[in-house]
Formats: sequence, structure tokens, C-alpha cells
Amino acid sequence: MAKYNISVNENRFEIDATPSTPLLWVLRDIVGLTGTKYGCGIGQCGACTVHMDGESIRSCSIPISDINSANIRTIEGLANGYLHPVQQSWIDEQVPQCGYCQAGQIMSAVALLEKNTNPTEEEIKSNMAGNLCRCGTYPRIIKAIKAAASKIK
Amino acid sequence: MSPMIKRRKFLQQLGIGSSGLIIGISLLESCTSDVRSGVSPIPEFMNGFDVDGASQIGEYIQIKPDGNIFVNIVKHEMGQGVASGMLGIIADELDADWSKVNLIYTPPITGLDNWAGGSTSTLKQWDIMRNAGALVRKLLVNQAAAIWNISSDECYTESNHVIQKGTGEKIEYGQLVEGIRYDEETVGEVKLKDPKDFKFIGQSFQNNTIPDMVLGRHPYAIDVQLPNMKYAVIERVPVWGGKLIDFDATEALKMPGVEKVVPIEGLVVDSNSHIRPGVAVIANNTWAALEARKLLKINWKLGGKRHIVHENFLDEAYRLLNTPEGEHSHSEGERSAMQEADSTITHTYEFPYQHHACMEPLNATAMFDEHTCEVWVGTQAANYMIRNITKHFGVPEDQIKLHCHPSGGGFGLRYWASHGMEALMVSKAAGGDLVKMMYSREDDIKFDFPNPLQICKHTVGLKNNALDSWHIKSIIDNWGGLLAWMIYDIPNKYAEQIQVDGFTQMSAWRSVMANAESFATECFIDEVATEVGKDPLKFRLEYLKTGIHELNHKFPFNYDRMRHALELAAEKSSYGKVLGKNTGQGIALFPYMHGNGYGAAVAEVSVHQNEVKVTKIDIAIECGLVVNPDFVKKQMEGGVIWALTALFYGGTEYKNGVVARSNFHDNKLLRINEVPQIEVHICESTETQPWGVGEIAPPVIYPAVCNAIFAATGKRIRKLPLNGALL
Repeated sequence: MAKYNISVNENRFEIDATPSTPLLWVLRDIVGLTGTKYGCGIGQCGACTVHMDGESIRSCSIPISDINSANIRTIEGLANGYLHPVQQSWIDEQVPQCGYCQAGQIMSAVALLEKNTNPTEEEIKSNMAGNLCRCGTYPRIIKAIKAAASKIK
Repeated sequence: MSPMIKRRKFLQQLGIGSSGLIIGISLLESCTSDVRSGVSPIPEFMNGFDVDGASQIGEYIQIKPDGNIFVNIVKHEMGQGVASGMLGIIADELDADWSKVNLIYTPPITGLDNWAGGSTSTLKQWDIMRNAGALVRKLLVNQAAAIWNISSDECYTESNHVIQKGTGEKIEYGQLVEGIRYDEETVGEVKLKDPKDFKFIGQSFQNNTIPDMVLGRHPYAIDVQLPNMKYAVIERVPVWGGKLIDFDATEALKMPGVEKVVPIEGLVVDSNSHIRPGVAVIANNTWAALEARKLLKINWKLGGKRHIVHENFLDEAYRLLNTPEGEHSHSEGERSAMQEADSTITHTYEFPYQHHACMEPLNATAMFDEHTCEVWVGTQAANYMIRNITKHFGVPEDQIKLHCHPSGGGFGLRYWASHGMEALMVSKAAGGDLVKMMYSREDDIKFDFPNPLQICKHTVGLKNNALDSWHIKSIIDNWGGLLAWMIYDIPNKYAEQIQVDGFTQMSAWRSVMANAESFATECFIDEVATEVGKDPLKFRLEYLKTGIHELNHKFPFNYDRMRHALELAAEKSSYGKVLGKNTGQGIALFPYMHGNGYGAAVAEVSVHQNEVKVTKIDIAIECGLVVNPDFVKKQMEGGVIWALTALFYGGTEYKNGVVARSNFHDNKLLRINEVPQIEVHICESTETQPWGVGEIAPPVIYPAVCNAIFAATGKRIRKLPLNGALL
């Protein structure tokens, strides 16, 4: 066990965890932010996607010992008094069905749009290919990202 | 169906007795806070709202003094949109302001059918929801009329208000609730809206669960967080039917965070459902439990299922197909007519086991006490879980507090009671600890109850160049049975099956046996059409009757609705259009009789160097009265993608009784860059009620794609999955 001081959604948390504990489980079980989901534990599904210093990462595959002073942003930290344009697009396009994968989808989409404000459909597909959805919301995800991109522009 | 519903029947459906006194107490009481269980002083989970100051109408609706309306969702919300669908139906009859309508995931209500499956939730709840909404509206109107000292006929309702005709004076619903007292005698007849007056029903109103989802606070059971809660994972016997001999937890217990390691006995829940024995690790966080589990040393007695070799199992299944044995499933006309055929055509189709792989792995949180227990879980069948808790653990039904959470996917797997019961067993073995028991993704795949393997052999007999007889023989692994929805107008039909006993227990899966049977039937009819030199669409239409006829199901089969879906799919896809080289279209239709919905699809594929790319799917549905067209579209889009995953990546492998796949790297799902263009077409219907939607798409996709592959390449597919996308 070791003590870690981490920054999540611009709040600081001092936590105790074993160094190998993935960030995902620190967020869910210790910090208590359950918006980030467990889907596979091996970086194959993207449900655990969060941002680390603005980069999209699979929190199931990064141990807490590697986080240090990086700024972690989770789905709970996206809306800032008002919905992020991607969240609003997700509602406008009625994207989710069961919704379980969607926090990860949204975080991946936000990271994409922060780097590329006008992605082509091919760029959307290749950037979002790491996020699985069992309910089949993919066509709406593509549509919502395009809509969000035009709003952000 | 009549728009009126007899009062007594409605009240029976509410689960309320017919005595006036009981109704007076249970209907329209101002609610105070629920009595908390002495065992766990944990607030009633109610999607963020509490009930203080509210009026409760029956078991379905509460209205607070501020006008906010809360609807108890009695069917499991697993992504199909049933929660919002029900809100829309009630809100319409109630003339509610949509922004004031909220949902509550209610604990199961005794006497109410809360099983969510077979694409039946909305159709079963339709009358009840409408009547509940209409009754409340009437009570509100009567109350306003009394306050104004006028007749109810001089009032109308709109957007959470009762309004006086003429003067336009209005009272908001919230201001009316405190005074309302329900009296069965005086409330009189409750009339339902004329469908032409619907404001929500038939419109694409927004799904109320979505805002919580995009904010990361939709209340999945896996996210439950309670004081003093522990985290557990179970190491289960790898082979179904095996036993736990002993275990050594010394190393596991040394891991920081680990508190207890306890054995879990196996349990036969019922003939279809067993709980495997295992060893549970209980820790103060999930990661510690997962890591410590790896350090367990366990001795199992694996049992006989470990000897099943799939190749031999399949050989035996195919051998059985060609024996005279078989259990009759359906017949029409003369079985012996086949022997008089001028010629016959026979083909056999194999549909493999399928995994559920819901994104939210199975999990439940539970606290066990022999007198009272509490479970937080996503389940498609809450009453079934409660009955089994009573049956196997002896806790009386009224002492079981089941918190029903919406889930990250059910698809038939969340029907079973095992995950809730396992959590209780862990809690019990740990001395009553409050425990969140989670399946890892590996557990979720390896201990899945798959959709059964089903092999269908089809034979038609031709006489005077017409189809005169049709036989189906099906081998199915041990769950469900042959549906035999043999819709083509062939005078002599015979369907039989043999159930075989495979390596693990089976389960319902989205669209159940309609997947295997539509794959077989619609590929077969396509092959027959080609072999007799006819166009696949025209041939099907030639053999589809009109009108309504009995089928092998409680709902009669409506040929007109079926033809409508087929014709719409053909029209929208320009079926039969000229395509380039290595490109082809395929068509298929199938009813989903559990929900009385009808689907048809045209797939377009292109094949290059043996690799199949599905470029377009046109899919049509006839689902009766459409509550929300956008909800229907989503279910159809999702169903298409569900089937494509199974088509390309489905099946499973096992060795020594153990599922070989373990996670998404080897149990693949379709990814966003593999999705074709999908166009959904909803038939205009004259039906006066909604019919099923959720399971209508998958069955027609396999044959539509396989028939398209034939059109593109001349190659027939009779066994799934395709090898990735390779032929």
C-alpha cells in the first residue's frame, strides 16, 4: 500500500492504494466516481476511458503509481455548470441505449475533437474504434460527433 | 382491443384487491417516508427523488405538490427504452407536461408481471399504462371541478393543468393532489384518449434516461455504493456440473485489502439454471479481490462435462439428424406427402452457440440475514429472483428487499437469478457482510449461459413444379425448442426436434431460436428459389398467403403485416437493381411471434479477395402502433449490429468443458468502423396497439447477408460464424 495524491476533475484526493491498482478502480472504489466503467480490464473495450493531461487513456490499464501529478478528467468532470457540446449532441441525437459504454465513448469523442475540430467520417471511425458498444449505437455516435464538431467550430 | 377496460380487471392488474376499503387505503394516500428496514438504514433508492409529500396513485404514479409526476417503471430497463416508452404512454393519457415526468426504478410489486423479455414489455403494459394515466387525469379533473363547483364536462386538461372551458382559468396538477380522495363508486367510467389526440405516442419524444447516462450517473447496479460495502469475486468451478473439493487461501489472504475467503456451495436453482460452486474472495476494493483470486489454490472435481469434444458432439448431432427419432413440434397436412414428391431439395444449416457479452458484466450487491435480506441488482425477472431466494434460502418473500436497477444490457442473460443469489450466498458465507459481487469480463464469458447451438435440416418436396411438402428437423442444445414458424403456404408441413445435452447450460439470447431458424429457413427458401429458377422475392411472395392464420404460437400470424414489411424492405432497397461485379443483394423476412412483430431486410455486400463487406442494410418492421418511432429505429439499428457481430465473430469454442474465449480480444464485437449504412423503415400500421420491437431485426440479418453473399459470389453459407469476414 502507498499514499498517492492525485488530481481528478480539478479536485485533489489523497488516497491509499497498492501501486499496481489501475486508475479505474481507484476512481470507482476509492474516490467514489463511478461514471467511468469497467468493461474488460484489458484495454479492449474503452468503457474506462478518461483523460490524463488531455490525452485519452484506458484507465483499466494504467496503474495508480504512474499517475503522479497528471490532471485526470472523468465523465463527471466534463460538464461545467452546463453540458459539454459532446454531451449535448449525445442527447440531441439520442445516442445511448443501455448507456454503459457511453461515458467512455464521450470521453474518446471529446479527446478527438480537442485535437481535430473537423474530423472526417473515416477519422471518426478510426479514432473511435477502441470503444465497443453492444447495443449498436455506432451510427448515432458518428452522427453526434459530426454535430458536436460543427457546434464547437 | 377495446379502449375501455373493466374496472375490476384493471384493479386486478394493479395487484389490488376488489374490496373498497383496500382501494381507499392504497390509492391516493399522501406518502410519508418509507419505513426503513431495521437491518440497513440506507435510503430507498429512487433515482434521486424522495416521496415526502407526494400522492401515490396505485402502484404506478405519484404526483408531488410541485406538479412533478413520478412513474414506477415495473419492467426492466436494459437499453430498449421501455422506461421512457412507459412514461410517454402515461404522460399522454394524463396530459402531463413532459418536463415534469420522472421515472422511478421500483422494487418489484407483488402480483405484477415484471418479466422483461420476448419483446413483450410495452405490448403487455399498454392498456395498463393508458388506464393508469387516464384514471389519474379523471381524478384531477374531478377535483378541480369540485373546487370550481362546476361539472367535470366543463373542464379539459393540457400540459399538467386542468383548465376551465370558457374562462380559461387553470389549476396545476400539483395544487390538486392533496385534496384528492379516491372513491371507486364516484369516479365513474374512465375513458381513454382517441389515438388521434395523442401528443406523445407516435412522436419521437426524448428518452428520459439519456441525460443521466451522458453525465455518468445512470444508476447501474455495478455502481452501487453503500456504507461498509465489501467487494467480492468468485472463482467458480471451470466445468459445469463440477464440484469444489478444498482450497488454500493462505496467499490470497496476505494481499492488502483482502478480508475473507469463503466457499460457495453449488446450487440447482431449477432445471434450467445452476449456480456453480466456487471460492469467493472478499476485499475492501475490487482490484484486491481480483488479484487475490489469482493466488487461490483450489482442488476441483471437474466432472463428466469435461470429456465432451465439440467435433464428436457435432458428429453425433448430425448423425441424429438423419435418424428417424424426433419429437414432434408442428405439423399441417400429411407427413407422408414428402414421400410422394417428384423431387426433393435438402439443405442443413448450423447456427453456433452465442455469447451475451453485455457491456455491464453480471453483478449484484447483497446483504444476507436469514430473516431478511436485501439485494441491489439489474434483473429482467425480479419476481423470479425473489421466488428463488425464498425457495432456496428460506427468507420469506415479504422480507426480501430487491432494489431494481436498470442495466448495461440484458439480452436474456439478466433473466436468470444466479447473480443476485450468488451475491447473497457470498454475504451469507461471510457472516452477513454487505457485498458487491462482480463478474470479471473473463467470468462473464466463461460462465455465460450461451444461446444454444441449433442445427436445422430443411427439406421441400416438389410436386408438379410446386412446393407441396416441407419438413424441418432440428437439433438443439437443451434449452427452448423448435419454434417452427413455418409461414410459407406449403400444404404439408412437419417439424420435429431432438434436444441434446451439451457442455454447459443454455439461455435465452436476443431473438432466441428465431435467429437459428430464420437463418435456416430464409437461406433455404432462397436456395430453393434459385434451384427452381425463380426470383427470390417473387418466389417468397408467391408462397405467402394473405389474411390471418393460425401459426405455431399463441398470436395468430398476420400475412398482410408480414407482406407489408417484405414489400417495404424490397422497395426501399430497390431490390433487384443492377449491381457491379462481386456485389450482391440478399433478402429475408421473418416474424418474431413472441412479440407479434414482423421484420424483413435487404442486405447489400461486396466481396473482394474472399473478404465480405456489408455495405448496406435496409430493414423494415411492422410493429403495430408505434409509441416512439425513434425508439423503434434504435432497436432496429442495434439489432442489425447485434446480428452482424454474431455473423462474423459469433460462436464459441470449448476444451475439456471450459470456454476457450475470455475477453473482447477473442470474443469480438463489431466495431464502429465495421458498420454498414443502416436504413430503418417502419411500416404504417392499422393495428391499434403496439407490438414487439427489440428482437425483430436480428433473425432476418443472417439470411439477408448470406443470400447477398450468394448473389455476389455464387457461394452458399450454411454454417456460421463466417471466419471473421473471410469466406
